[in-house]
Amino acid sequence: MKKYIIIFLSIFQYGFATEKDSLAVHNPFLKFHQFIYELDDDCDACGCSASGGSMGFASMLNTNFIGIRYFNQSYKSTDGLYSNSPWYDENFNTIQVWTRIPVVKNLQVSALLPYHFHNRETATGTQNISGIGDVTILAMYRLYQTHKDSTILTHTFQVGGGIKIPLGKFDQANNGSVNPSYQVGTGSWDYLLATEYIIRRKQFGLNALLNYVVKTENEKKYRFGNQFNYAGTFFYLYEKNNFSIAPQIGFAGEVFGDNYQYKQRVRNTAGDIFMGKIGFEIGKDKFSFGVNTMLPIVQNLTNGNVEANYRWSINFNYSL
Amino acid sequence: MKFQLKNILAVMALAIAFTSCSDDDDNKITGEGSIKLEFDNVYGDADFAFNTAYTNSNGEVIKATKVKYIVSNIVLTKTDGSTYTVPKSDSYFIIDEGTATSTLLELPNIPAANYKSISFGIGVDQEQFNLGATGQGDFLTTAQNAGMMWSWSAGYKFVAFEGTFTSSTVTTDTSYMVHTGQTGTSYNYNTINIDFPENAMVRTTITPQVHIMADVKHIIDGTNKISLTSNNMGGMGAMIMGGANLPLITANLSNMFEVHHVHND
Repeated sequence: MKKYIIIFLSIFQYGFATEKDSLAVHNPFLKFHQFIYELDDDCDACGCSASGGSMGFASMLNTNFIGIRYFNQSYKSTDGLYSNSPWYDENFNTIQVWTRIPVVKNLQVSALLPYHFHNRETATGTQNISGIGDVTILAMYRLYQTHKDSTILTHTFQVGGGIKIPLGKFDQANNGSVNPSYQVGTGSWDYLLATEYIIRRKQFGLNALLNYVVKTENEKKYRFGNQFNYAGTFFYLYEKNNFSIAPQIGFAGEVFGDNYQYKQRVRNTAGDIFMGKIGFEIGKDKFSFGVNTMLPIVQNLTNGNVEANYRWSINFNYSL
Repeated sequence: MKFQLKNILAVMALAIAFTSCSDDDDNKITGEGSIKLEFDNVYGDADFAFNTAYTNSNGEVIKATKVKYIVSNIVLTKTDGSTYTVPKSDSYFIIDEGTATSTLLELPNIPAANYKSISFGIGVDQEQFNLGATGQGDFLTTAQNAGMMWSWSAGYKFVAFEGTFTSSTVTTDTSYMVHTGQTGTSYNYNTINIDFPENAMVRTTITPQVHIMADVKHIIDGTNKISLTSNNMGGMGAMIMGGANLPLITANLSNMFEVHHVHND
C-alpha cells in the first residue's frame, strides 16, 4: 500500500514540478488544516439523509469556517417490475449551510443544515419535493497528531460522533416501488460515528475517512438501512502569500443496509456504490471556493433499480 | 496513550448506547383493516399491452385484444397458519385488462394480522354454480355484461383470452379465442395458492397492497403448449372453447400467478 502511495505521490509531484520551486513552505499546516476537513463530504445515495455521505463534513482549507455548499446528485430509477419498465431521471439538489468551529483544544464541532429541492420524472409528468432537510451535528476529537518538525511524515487521527436531527419531512407516499430515498428527510434520529486519518508529507497528503450512520425507525415505522461511508483523497496544497490552491483526487464509497418497514425488511433497498472523485479548492484571504465531481465506478443500488449518474458540488466558505 | 484509549472506549460506549435501543410493538393486534390485491398482467417479463406482438414457444406471434378472468373465493393465510375466508357474497371478481379499475381489488373487513399467503380460484366454483341462476346474486349480471357467460346452462367463462396471431403457416392475421369453463367431462375451476415474499400487515391503520403478477403467456404457453395454428380449423381462426384443451389450459393457470411484492403503507 505504502508503495502505491509513494508512486501516486511521485506522479502528482511530477505534475506540479514547475510550481514546486516557488512553494512557500513555511507553515503549510495552517492552511492545510482547513483544507483537509472539507474532504469528508458525503452524499448519501439517498436524497433524504444527504448530510454528505461520502462527500464529507468540512473544508480542507479552513479549520474553522462557515460556508454554503450546493450539491447535485443525478440518478435514474425504474420500478423494476417488468423487463420493459421505463427509466426515469431523478435530480437531487441540496443547498447546505455548513460550519465547523473549535470548542476546546482538539475538539471541533461541525453542523450541516440542508435545504433540498428534488425532482423526478414520472409517467404523468415531473414531480417535485422540497424543504428543509435533516440537520447533522458532528463532534470530532483529535486523538493524535505528530508535530510537523519532528518527522517527514505527519499523521493526524481524529474520531468523532454525531447526531442527525429529523427536521426534514418524511413522506410515506414517496416510499413506493421506486427510489426509496426520494425524500427530504428520513424522519428519524440517526447517529454517526466517524474517524478520519490524514497522512502528509510536505505539500502532499492523503485523507482517509470512515463513517457509520446508525439509522433508527421513524414515526411512520420506516427505518432506512444503516450506512457505511468511506473515502480516500489525495491532495496537494500550494500556498503563496494569501493565496492557496488544493487539487484533490480520490475515491469514495457507500454501503447501505436493508430498509425496514414495521420491522419487516423491504426488498431491494440494500446496495453499494464506489465512486471516483476529483476536485479542487482555492483560497484567498478569508474566502475559499471549492468544486468536486464524483462519478460511479461500480454500483449496485436497490438491486439495480436505481443508478447513480454523477454528483457534483460547489462551495464558498468564509474562514472564522 | 492511556488517555486516548479512554476516548476510544467512550466513543465505542456511545455507539453501543445508540444502537441498542429498539422497542417491540408486536403485542396485541386488534381490529379490522383492508387489503388491496393488484392483478398486474404481464407477458413473460414484460408489462403486458394489447395489440403488441409477442412470440410464443410455438413460434406463433400473437397480438391480444382481450384478457379477462374471474377471480373468486379469496382465502388469506396468517403467519400462524390460520385462515380468513372472504365471505362468498363478496368474493367474485372479473379482472379485465381493458378496465384499469377492475385490476385492483380492495377487500374490506379483514381481521388485523400478518398474512403470509393467499389462495383464490379462477372461475366460479361448482358449488356456487349449482346454486342455480337465482343463487348467483349480482354476479350473474356482472358476468353477462362483461361477456363472461355463454348462457346459463353452458355456464361462466373463467378465462377469456382473444386476439390475432400469425405463424409460419398462417401468414395473415387470424383471430384466436381462448375461453375456459366447464365442459361435459371437466369443470375446469382451478385454485391458485401463492405465498407473499413479505408479510401483508393488515391493521386498522395499514392497508397492504399485494402486487400480483399474472403472466398471460402461461394461458396457452405454459407447462402445456397449445398450438393456435393446429386449432385454426379451416382457416377460420383458432377457437379454443372446449374439449381436451381446456383442462390443459386450466392446469397452466396454476403457474400464471406470482406475488411480486407487498407494500405495507
